[in-house]
Amino acid sequence: MSVIDILFRVDSICKKYEKYDVEKQGSQNASSDDSFARLYGWFESQIEAVLHKSEMVAMETNRAAMVAMNAEVRRTKARLMDEVPKLQKLAQKRVKGLSMEELEVRKDLVLALPERIQAIPDGTAAKQAGVWEASTSHKNIKFDTDGQFDDDFFQKSEESNQFRQEYEMRKIKQDQGLDIISEGLDTLKNLAADMNEELDRQVPLIDEIDTKVDRATTELKNTNVRLKESIFKIRSSRNFCLDIILLCIILGIASYLYE
Amino acid sequence: MESAAVLAKEVRNWKELSEFSRHASELYTECGRSQPASDALAKGARALEDFAPEEAIQLYTDACDALEEDGKEQMAFDLYRAATSVYIKLEKYADAATFLLRLALAADKCNATHSQCKAYLSAIIVHLYAHDFQQAEKCYNDCCQVEAFLNSDQNRAASRLLSAYTEGDVEEIKRAAQSSIVSNLDHVIVKLARKLPTGDVSAFKMDTKDQEEPLDEDDLT
Repeated sequence: MSVIDILFRVDSICKKYEKYDVEKQGSQNASSDDSFARLYGWFESQIEAVLHKSEMVAMETNRAAMVAMNAEVRRTKARLMDEVPKLQKLAQKRVKGLSMEELEVRKDLVLALPERIQAIPDGTAAKQAGVWEASTSHKNIKFDTDGQFDDDFFQKSEESNQFRQEYEMRKIKQDQGLDIISEGLDTLKNLAADMNEELDRQVPLIDEIDTKVDRATTELKNTNVRLKESIFKIRSSRNFCLDIILLCIILGIASYLYE
Repeated sequence: MESAAVLAKEVRNWKELSEFSRHASELYTECGRSQPASDALAKGARALEDFAPEEAIQLYTDACDALEEDGKEQMAFDLYRAATSVYIKLEKYADAATFLLRLALAADKCNATHSQCKAYLSAIIVHLYAHDFQQAEKCYNDCCQVEAFLNSDQNRAASRLLSAYTEGDVEEIKRAAQSSIVSNLDHVIVKLARKLPTGDVSAFKMDTKDQEEPLDEDDLT
């Protein structure tokens, strides 16, 4: 095993067991009073997290997850960039127990921060450095300036041929369906128009019927009234009693005959 | 009188039948009841259709006149249609077309545009069936003067049919004749349409070409 391998292994092991490293923790805790150091430490941790995420993006195969993670990386980067001025102000301040050299060092660190933040890959940087080589000031606009992708082009047009065929088939089917619908609608329209005319024809007939029936009802009413009057006259009380007595006599005779 | 007519029908005494029907209708008209008058005539005509068609047509015409005098054209539609079917059975296509145009006139008075357009289309088809393309075209041009026809589906069907004829395209003619608009017409007309095209369609193509040449000479001079 070469020295380099040993070094790498040691580094990874140390990273893994960092939290058990008392000295490091101690040094981190010591800077809790110093706000600059605190903020700087926060920065460092954020940058590390973002780097880790971007590494995961590189390994990710699911496009949607990639896009989501890239977006998160970009967001964090923007936030960090916003915080940099604060850090710069803190760096200017003089703190107790801090030498001039260390102050200079801090300033340099702060200056280096923005570059480090920007250098974090977030999915758009790759394209800028990528094969296109066109002067894309805007990240999202791409122009087909070079003919380097002819093969890819044709492959895509095979797919699009299939797509176009399917589209044509569907269009033909739709046309057929629409033809059938239009025939049905023609029939419906014809029926409706004929019904319309038939009803128009029957309107005056029904008006005639209406008048004739009105006349008939008035005549009937008159007849009914007259009939009632004549019945009342016939059935006056005297005649009614006579009727009842005669009925009783007949019933008596009938019962006598039967018994 | 009507009962007398019915009895005459059963006895199959045709002359008497028509006389009875006429008498009945005259009596009705005297009472001022035009509808029953025309009904009597129509009944007589229907009975006579199979046996004495000319007489039947005469009766139908009288019935329609009676109704039109009284302003009741709506009722006349059925009578006109029956008369046209009798004419077609007799193969008197020009008369049939004339009757259809009368029907269209009656429909116009009642604002029954649908019936009117159907009547025009039927007239054009009858002319085409009679193999009389010039008449059909003239008929079409006359009908286009009428606004109601101009804006209707029937107009489109008619123009399609006529253009198919000028091109002499048998398939196109068949397709136009089978279209749903034509199938909505009276069934007698539909039968005629199904039988289109009659005779040699290419003859029409030649006719139109001959007509064009004299025009060209006129233009040159």
